[in-house]
Amino acid sequence: MALQDYLRDMEGCSRCSSCKWVPFNQVKSWRFAKNCPSVTRHNLHAFSGSGKMIMGLSMVSGRSELNDTVTEIIYRCQLCGACDTACKVYRDDIDLMDVLLALRAHCVEQGQLIPEHMLTIDALKREDNVFGEPKARRGDWAEGLDVKDAVGEKPQVLFHAGCRYSYDPDLRETVRGAVRLLRSAGVDLGIAGADEACCGGRAFELGYQGESENFADDMVSRVKATGASVLVTACSDCYAAFNYLYPRMGKELGVELYHITQYLEKLAGEGRLRLRQRVPKLVTWHDPCHLGRKSEPFTGEWKGDKLLRPVTMKRTGKKGVYDAPRNVLKSIPGIELVEMERIKGYAWCCGAGGGVLEAFPEFAAWTAAERIEEALATGAEALVTSCPWCLRIFRDAVEETGALLEVYDLTELALVSAGEGVLAGGAAR
Amino acid sequence: MSVEEARREFVELLGEENVSWEPAVLDCYAWQPTFNDDPDRWVKRPVAVVLPSSTEEVQEVVRICNRHGLRFKSFSTGWGAWNGPTFDNVVQVDLRRMDRIVEIDAKNMYAVIEPYVNGAQLQAEAMKVGLNTHIIGAGPNCSPLASATSGWGVGHDSIYMSYSARNLLGVEWVLPDGEVLRLGTLGSSGEWFNGDGPGPSLRGIMRGSCGALSGLGIFTRCALKLYNWPGPPEMEIDGIMLDAKMEVPENIGYYMCFFPDRKAFSDAMYKLGEAEIAYNALATSFGGYFDILTPRLFRKIEHADSIRSMIVNTFKYTLAILFAANSARELAYQEKVLHAIVREHGGFAMDVTRIKDFFSMLFMSFVRATIPALVFRMGGSFSTALDRNDALDSQAAWREVVREIKEGYIRKGQILDDLADNPYFVPYENNTWCHCEVVYQYDPRDPKHREALEPIFLDVTIAAIERCMEPLFTSDPRVRRLISPLAGNFSKYQQAISRGLDPKQAADNTLYSAEADFDFSGIDPQRVRRLQEVVEQRRW
Ligand SMILES: Cc1cc2nc3c(=O)[nH]c(=O)nc-3n(C[C@H](O)[C@H](O)[C@H](O)COP(=O)(O)OP(=O)(O)OC[C@H]3O[C@@H](n4cnc5c(N)ncnc54)[C@H](O)[C@@H]3O)c2cc1C
Ligand code: SF4
Ligand code: SF4
Repeated sequence: MALQDYLRDMEGCSRCSSCKWVPFNQVKSWRFAKNCPSVTRHNLHAFSGSGKMIMGLSMVSGRSELNDTVTEIIYRCQLCGACDTACKVYRDDIDLMDVLLALRAHCVEQGQLIPEHMLTIDALKREDNVFGEPKARRGDWAEGLDVKDAVGEKPQVLFHAGCRYSYDPDLRETVRGAVRLLRSAGVDLGIAGADEACCGGRAFELGYQGESENFADDMVSRVKATGASVLVTACSDCYAAFNYLYPRMGKELGVELYHITQYLEKLAGEGRLRLRQRVPKLVTWHDPCHLGRKSEPFTGEWKGDKLLRPVTMKRTGKKGVYDAPRNVLKSIPGIELVEMERIKGYAWCCGAGGGVLEAFPEFAAWTAAERIEEALATGAEALVTSCPWCLRIFRDAVEETGALLEVYDLTELALVSAGEGVLAGGAAR
Repeated sequence: MSVEEARREFVELLGEENVSWEPAVLDCYAWQPTFNDDPDRWVKRPVAVVLPSSTEEVQEVVRICNRHGLRFKSFSTGWGAWNGPTFDNVVQVDLRRMDRIVEIDAKNMYAVIEPYVNGAQLQAEAMKVGLNTHIIGAGPNCSPLASATSGWGVGHDSIYMSYSARNLLGVEWVLPDGEVLRLGTLGSSGEWFNGDGPGPSLRGIMRGSCGALSGLGIFTRCALKLYNWPGPPEMEIDGIMLDAKMEVPENIGYYMCFFPDRKAFSDAMYKLGEAEIAYNALATSFGGYFDILTPRLFRKIEHADSIRSMIVNTFKYTLAILFAANSARELAYQEKVLHAIVREHGGFAMDVTRIKDFFSMLFMSFVRATIPALVFRMGGSFSTALDRNDALDSQAAWREVVREIKEGYIRKGQILDDLADNPYFVPYENNTWCHCEVVYQYDPRDPKHREALEPIFLDVTIAAIERCMEPLFTSDPRVRRLISPLAGNFSKYQQAISRGLDPKQAADNTLYSAEADFDFSGIDPQRVRRLQEVVEQRRW
C-alpha cells in the first residue's frame, strides 16, 4: 500500500506520545522508561513513531516536501516496532509500523536514497547477500560439519543460516555450534550452502519492497526444491521475514517453520536434547525485535474502517516468540535468569535493525550501549540473545564500552550444557 | 523581527541537532488534533523548534525571542491543542531534554523534577520509597510539572492527592523577559519544601486555577508534594493493559458501589469523604467503560433502546473506590466503614478484588491512570462539556443536565452513543469539592459529527451559565470574553499581569489572556439569543 493509503492511520494520531514510552503499567524506573531509540537519541518529535507519521501526513497533505533532512529522519529509526506496540495499547485504528514501512517505500519511489543502503541493495542484487560477499562462499561456514547438502540429499530439516551467520567470521563458531547442537539431538539436517540466499527482509525494511518480493519468490522455490518439511533458522530477522513478511506478501514456504529457540524447546521437550551440564551463570535475556514483536504472524488485511476491525486482526506484539528462549534457558542447570525492565513486546532494540547499522553506525552503537547498561543494571554476568545481528552489535558495544558483561547466543549456552562445547572468552567453542 | 538571525542564534546556543525549521519537522508541532474542534486540526506552524537542556538555555532562548520580536510557546509532553502556537511568529520550546528527577526527599515527602519527567516515571521511583505522586486523569504520559505549574490538574486519586496545583512546592520560573524567579522557600533559602514562603509565593498569579498554559513564561523545575504509598514498591504485572494479570497486592481493596438514586449517591459520597478512607475514588460511567473496553460491540448496540435503558438504569449511580491501607486491620476498618455507608444509603458494594482478571486490568488504570488514551477507541476523538469544579451535589445534578443535552445529539447521530452518560466525575480532598467533566465522543472524519461540535459546545455553555457552574475552558479566548464579566472581569486582571511580566509580549499568551468572539454564523439564532440573555442576566 502506498503512503496515502495510510491517511486515516496518520491522521488518527492524537499525539499522546505513548509511542515514546514503555507501556505505562510496565514502567519500573525513571532510567528505563523510554522505548524508542530514535526519539530518545535525537529528541525532536519528528523522530518518534508519531512524528514520522505526522511528517507523512504533512507530505501527503501537500504541506511539506520530502527532502534529504526528512529522509534522514525517516531512516534514523531501527524499525524496531516498540512504538507500534505502545501505540496499540490504546489504538485499534493505527498501524504505525506499516506507516513507517510505507514512508521508506515512498522515499525509494521518490528517489530519496540513503547511499549506504544503495550499497546493500547492490550487494543483494549482485551476490544474494547484504554484504556483497561472493555467493559461492555462502556455505563456507559449514565446512567439515556433519550435515546434508539440502540440494539433493533431501534432509527432513533445512537449516537457514541467514546472511550474517553465513559471512561474519567472528560468529562462525556460534552458527557451527548451533548445527552441532541440532545434530547431537539427532536432527536430520541439511543446509543449502552456496544455494542459500538472503530472505529479502532487509530489502523490504529499507523500502525496496519489489526487490524483497523477488527474494521471497526465490526463497520459496529454493525451499520447495529441497523437499524439507521443516525449516529452522538461527536468525531472528529471517524468522520474522518467513513468519510475517512472506504471508503478508502472499508467499507460502510450505514447511513447518521454527526459530532455533523454538526448535530447541521442542527437542528438549521430546527428550532428544539433553541439557545436563551445569552452566553456573546469572544471565539476562534480550528479546530480539524480529524474534519478538516483529515476528508476530500476519493477521490478514482489513479493508474497512480500522475502528471496526476485529481485535484478532490487530498485531499487538503479544504473539512474538518470548517463552521458548526463556524455557530453554531455564532448563539449563545452573542458569539463573534475571529479567531486564524492558522485555518481550516492549523490549529495547539492540540498535542494528532497519538499516541503521549500515547508515548511522554511531547511532546503532549508542542504542546497543543503552541496552548493555540495562543488562548491567540487573546484576547479570551475561547477556543472552538469539540473533546474529544483536549478538554482533552487543559484542562490539561491550568491547567499545569496556562493560563487564559476557554476551552469548542461546545456542552457545545450550551447546555447553549438552556437553558439546566449552565457554571461552564470552563465546562457546 | 529577524527570524533568520534568531535561528542562527538558537543554533549557536543549542547546537544544530537541537534546533530545526524544517517544515515537516515543524508540522510535528502543528499537528494538534486533540481538543481541537477546528476541522482542519492543524494549528499554526512554529517558525522554529528548539530543545534547551537547562534553565540557563531556556533563559537565553526567551531572551533571543525578546530581542527578535518573536514569541515562545513551551511544553513538557505536548498533548492537546493548547500546546501549539497561536501566532505566526512563535518559537516552539520543546522541553524534553529537561527530563531529570532532581531529587526525591523521602523524609520530607517531596520530589524535585524537570518538565519532561512523566507521571509513570515519578510514580515508579516514588513507590520504591513508599511514596506516591498525583497523576492527572489524562494519564501517566503527562508531565506532573506541566499540570502543577501550567494547566488544570484533576486525577482519579484527587480524593487523596488533590489537584495538581495544590501539590506545588518550590518553583523555578523563567519569566517572559528571561529573568528567573524562584518561588516559595526556594526563593529565600534555596530549599524546595514550601511553595508559599518564606520567600515569594505568587501562587495565584503564577498558576491561578487553570494555569497560564505557557502564557507567562516557562517553568524549568518544581517540587511536588508526595503522598503515602503503602502498596508494593514495584508492581508485578504480566501484560500491558487490557491483558494485564496480577495478584491483588496486600492491603489493597477495590470496590464498585451501586446506589439507587442521585441523592443516595451524593449523600454516600459525602459520608465516605468524611470518613477519610479512600485512596482513589471515581464515579463510574458504564457507558464510558463499555465504549473504551468493547467499542465494537458498543457500536453494534447503538440505539438499541432496551439494552441502553437496562445498562443506564442499572449502573447510573456507581462509584469505584480504592483502598490502600497500612495494615490488614486498617483495610478491614475501611471496608467495614464502606459497607456501613453503602448499606445506609440503600446501595450495595461489589468486591472487585475477587474478580481477579477485572481487578488486574483496572488496578493500574486507577493507580497510574493508564486507561484514558483508550478514549480514542470508540470514534477516534472526543471532547468534553464545559464545566469543571464545584460542590459535589451540584456536579451530580450537572451530570444529568449534560446527559439530556447529549441524548438529543446521539438521537440525531451527531455524536457517538455512549449511553449519553460519560462523566469524568472525581471528588477532591475527601469531597470538599468535585470535578465533573462530561465527555462526548465523535468521529472527526464524519462531517455530521464535525458540524455538531459548535452547537453542542454552545448548548453546554448556555446550560453551565444558567446554573452558575464554574466553566472549564476559560483558556478559550471566546469563552473568556463571554464569562469574564460574570466572574469579576478576571480577564482584565490577567491582561494586566501579562503586560506587567511580559512587557514585550514575548510569550504566546492567547490562551492565558486574549479575548475573541464566537462565530455565530450558521448557529441557530434562538440559541444565540438564549446565550446572550443568560450572560446579560448574570453579569456582575
Ligand atoms: C485525553 C486527555 C485527557 C485529559 N484529562 C485530563 C484530566 O483528567 N485532568 C487534567 O488535569 N487534565 C486533563 N487533560 C488536559 C491535560 O492536563 C493536558 O493535556 C496535559 O497537561 C497534557 O500533558 P502535560 O501534562 O505533559 O502538559 P503539556 O501538554 O506539555 O502542556 C500543557 C499546557 O501547559 C503548558 N506547559 C507545559 N509545560 C510547561 C512549562 N514547563 N512551562 C510553561 N508552560 C508549560 C503548555 O504550553 C500547555 O499549554 C486531558 C487531556 C487529554 C488530551
Ligand atoms: S501512541 Fe499512537 S496515537 Fe499516540 S502519539 Fe504515538 S502514534 Fe500517535
Ligand atoms: S520503530 Fe523503533 S526506532 Fe523507529 S520510531 Fe518506532 S520505536 Fe522509534
